[in-house]
Amino acid sequence: MKIKPFDVFDSAPVLADVPLLAAAGESLHYLDNAATTQKPNAVIDAISDCYRQHNAPVHRGLYDLAENASQLYETARRTLAKFIGAASDQLIFTRSATESINMVAQGWLRPRLNKGDQIWLTRMEHHANYLPWQALCRDNGARLRIIELNQDGTLDLENCTGLYDASTKLIALTQVSNVLGVINPLKEICAKAAGQGIAVMIDAAQSVGHMPVDVTELDCDFLVFSAHKMFGPNGIGALYGKAERLNQMEPLLLGGGMVDHVSQCDSIWMPYPTKFEAGSQNLADALGFAAAVNWIRQHDMHAMHAHVTELTQYALDSLAKLNNVEIYGPRDAEQRAGIVSFNLTDVHPHDVGQIAGERGVAIRAGHHCCQPLMQQLGIAATARASFAPYNNRNDVDALIESLHAAQALMG
Amino acid sequence: MSNSSIYKDVLMDHYRNPRNRGDLSEADIVRRGSNPRCGDDIDVGVNFDAETLAKVMFRGRGCSVCLASASMMTETVSGKSKTDAHQLVAAMRNWFTAEGATADDRPADNLAALDAVRGHSARKRCVMLAWEALDEALEIE
Ligand SMILES: Cc1ncc(COP(=O)(O)O)c(C=O)c1O
Repeated sequence: MKIKPFDVFDSAPVLADVPLLAAAGESLHYLDNAATTQKPNAVIDAISDCYRQHNAPVHRGLYDLAENASQLYETARRTLAKFIGAASDQLIFTRSATESINMVAQGWLRPRLNKGDQIWLTRMEHHANYLPWQALCRDNGARLRIIELNQDGTLDLENCTGLYDASTKLIALTQVSNVLGVINPLKEICAKAAGQGIAVMIDAAQSVGHMPVDVTELDCDFLVFSAHKMFGPNGIGALYGKAERLNQMEPLLLGGGMVDHVSQCDSIWMPYPTKFEAGSQNLADALGFAAAVNWIRQHDMHAMHAHVTELTQYALDSLAKLNNVEIYGPRDAEQRAGIVSFNLTDVHPHDVGQIAGERGVAIRAGHHCCQPLMQQLGIAATARASFAPYNNRNDVDALIESLHAAQALMG
Repeated sequence: MSNSSIYKDVLMDHYRNPRNRGDLSEADIVRRGSNPRCGDDIDVGVNFDAETLAKVMFRGRGCSVCLASASMMTETVSGKSKTDAHQLVAAMRNWFTAEGATADDRPADNLAALDAVRGHSARKRCVMLAWEALDEALEIE
């Protein structure tokens, strides 16, 4: 009897469906998916089809082509919204997760953050979810507070006194750390925060498209993500907000399309989502974004997630067998997404990344836009491998081989 | 290792056996070059004999490229006049940033091993760190 392998997912058809990787074959082991993912045919086609067949101004024209473009744009919005369990009009197209966070910081929190108030973040936040709040605290005289981490990289929720105090106006945290891979217990935090009327903003840049994310189930106030990290195009992202919050939030970009009535001295904004989408809209990338969602659905996100988890465990186990290696974050892949940061003793992460690169293994080396975390870990940088459904064990083996080579060369 | 590898023997030799690396307490002037992006942190110390760089040393930590480049720098500029050293730094900058620069534009022959690094924009700062620190130590406006 044939023994059924633990991992039954076949990554080969997924790989074959990603032209850049299919063309590169064995010469490229792309393990930098947390930085940006590669694009399947469906996404590339959706974008080029848009320019070949559908291109027209969105929400502007009265002719058929323009009407069709508007409908396609709104269908894309519905696809995205449904994917995260949101009502369609609560999904706002932005340029990126970064832009979405800045919109919440400037448009929602700035006018209601007072001296002595607190904003809580975590030690593992990406600069995108750190700097906007740091600047806001400085400007408004509020306090920036940090949820610190346990030894294994999980949040230390026992020792953050004052987290749910009345003075806390917002808790902004990531669902998945782009360095440690840790998945945070958001439901617990959102539930406690809601009980005190505290808003929670979730940075879902590393989670949407890779694991189930449902804003209704989470009951968060805001949630942000980027298309390019979930097999979609660059230059487009999304912001979800609760209806009440979106009503309170002011638009940052003022201009065409977002306004209802303009008089000489005053104007009335359109309702959301339109009030947050000033200027001519990015139709092609919205269609590419929705195509990414459909592609993920078609390949079954649960199956892909299980495959990535299995690969991550294989990578963790393989790395642990190396001499002189430090692995950051939990050792159990079930507690993480497909992201593994590590360092080799006495080999600078830049050299690790470069030597791996010379062997066709694409990994990231640096601080990963998480300097507060690096300071806490007492290091300047790490090497990081991050996995996607098109990766397989060969990619991990190639990584490990390149690490042996790095140790041999630099040792 | 492939031909395009940046880890040429000469570079690795400077990394493994750095020249003029050590104590800077006797230096006339010490200047620091640091790159918080990757944790490279180098001090360059110079002893002058009138207008000449009598002794150039460095200490610190960084990746192989950063340390090897620092080591090569100390070799290249020791014994040179302040003005020549300043010009060498400018030539290095140019070699690493000017469009159309080639291997032949290297400021000195003992820097040839760095040519392979020029194509890697992410490593430019690693290469230039010690050179920029030296330039500050020269205190030429
Ligand atoms: C956790 C996390 N948050 C936010 C971002 C910012 O995403 P973007 O650069 O697409 O705006 C990233 C991207 O690296 C990330 O990993």
